[in-house]
Amino acid sequence: MPSRQRTSKAVAAPEAAAAPVRSFWSGTITFGLVSIPVDLLSAVRPRQTAMKLVDKEGHPLGRRYYCSKEDKKLDNDDLVRGYETESGQIIEITDEDLESVAPEMSSDIELRSFVPLEQIPPLYFQKPYFLAPAGKSAKAYHLLAATMERTGRAGIGSFVMRGHEYLVAIVSDHGVLRADTLRYTDELRTPESLELPKPKPAAKKVSRFEKAIEDLTRRELDVTELADEEAAALAKLVEARRKDADNVVHTSGLEDEDAEGEGAKVIDLMAVLRKSLSKNAVVTNAEGAAPISLAEHRARKHARKTTAKKRAKTRTASRTAGRKKRASR
Amino acid sequence: MARAIWKGKLELGSHEIDVKMYSAVEDRTVHFRMLHKKDDAAVEQHIVRKDTGKDVAKEDIRKAFALDKTTAVILQPEDLASLVPPESREIQILRFVAPDVLGDQWFDRPYYLGPDADDGDYFALAAALERKHVIGIARWVMRKKRYVGALSALTGYLTLSTLRRADQVLSFSRVEPVKSETPHPNELKLAEQFVASITGDFEPEQWQNEYRQRLCKLIEAKARGEKIEPAPTKRRARQASLADSLRASIAAAKEKKVA
Repeated sequence: MPSRQRTSKAVAAPEAAAAPVRSFWSGTITFGLVSIPVDLLSAVRPRQTAMKLVDKEGHPLGRRYYCSKEDKKLDNDDLVRGYETESGQIIEITDEDLESVAPEMSSDIELRSFVPLEQIPPLYFQKPYFLAPAGKSAKAYHLLAATMERTGRAGIGSFVMRGHEYLVAIVSDHGVLRADTLRYTDELRTPESLELPKPKPAAKKVSRFEKAIEDLTRRELDVTELADEEAAALAKLVEARRKDADNVVHTSGLEDEDAEGEGAKVIDLMAVLRKSLSKNAVVTNAEGAAPISLAEHRARKHARKTTAKKRAKTRTASRTAGRKKRASR
Repeated sequence: MARAIWKGKLELGSHEIDVKMYSAVEDRTVHFRMLHKKDDAAVEQHIVRKDTGKDVAKEDIRKAFALDKTTAVILQPEDLASLVPPESREIQILRFVAPDVLGDQWFDRPYYLGPDADDGDYFALAAALERKHVIGIARWVMRKKRYVGALSALTGYLTLSTLRRADQVLSFSRVEPVKSETPHPNELKLAEQFVASITGDFEPEQWQNEYRQRLCKLIEAKARGEKIEPAPTKRRARQASLADSLRASIAAAKEKKVA
């Protein structure tokens, strides 16, 4: 499909960042009459289970579009979006058609109300994105983040991205603004629409379950319970298979098995936040594991090297001093 | 009525509760098909070798895990089969925690659980969860895949949402604005006043997917061979100082309330 995404120009894309996230959209949050230009970045790292497609010999494979009538290879320019009506009529929908549907909505997130965050049921939350300030001054950005943090509120608004309208809750997460997309009410089923029976809890049974819940209630989350076991098993398998050189391919042009998320610009979240928001910002994953960007890896390496050098220097210095002392004796 | 997509058994201490699982999401997306511009014929996807452009037969396609941009390890079908977890109906509850322990960014796809056969235990657990105000951390295997999830109660029913994995969810520290970008106490006060002036309850039914509605209208109009006027673009007011903009915002919000 012809790509419609708008990506940020302000953001540099380092080659092969250790923790890439994707940049999707640039626009403006309006908070009353205050405008805050922002870039939208994925707040979720992809799982480490993505696979590439190759043939038996390891040649990289890709997807190509063909016309079903002519058996002819098609370029992006040969493709159009079609909508099939109930009567089987095909309606062509162009990029311009989509642009014309709601031009004002595609570049603005207008915060139209603020709600207590805990009032939004988890069912509504779809996908989280980080917002990075895109303008010259991040002051208005910090103001909104601080206000959300202090009031415990989420700003609600909507915007259009890649031909879809999203309802969003803007929240502050440790000083970074996040836009969590929400489902619309008509996208959620209800116990009534599923025709589930009416609740009729029996008091005696309820207290039995309350007891069972108490026995299993803990104060804290154990993130190891939320670890990616599939990714771990896969990593182990890969480690074993790579020992045999026949299994290892060296080639460029490897393509993802599923096309999801392709096309968006890959960026280093920590590098972006340090540049646009706060120069010491640190990004880690929920496991609290090592910082997860190339920049940080570099910084750490550098820090290790300099302390090692310093240590070596001090060692030499004290040794020399000791020698001098001895010599003076 | 939507059909159950799976049947499972909640394992909670010594209790076992049979449940049916239903997707809580109804797809309302306007779906398009990709067509060949010239003849409106459907488009087919072929898997080809990138260097020769030649089609590759399905049985010759392999999956490879990329170690970096130019190195990958080929895995054979039997390797991948060995990763498939053993089939099970159990939804294991590992622990209960306070709901605010899990941020919204963890939640992925929501499902409703419904009672299967006996509904006494089902509704009793839902009521107990609501009274204790906790959520359960769950693990299960469904359709050859492992899931982690959060079991919660909503209006007397059980929901099970899949959760993202621990290494997917990011967190921050040391975000400190430089002095020139730190908001003044006065600006914070005005911002809080403005937030208070348009604070309300979360009323999701007030929010309509306007874009989807307009898109459907456009499609209908095009089907009738009509043209549709593009929606007008709004102009944004010029940016004044932060404090002045906030004062004006509060005034505008007040005016709206009176009207």
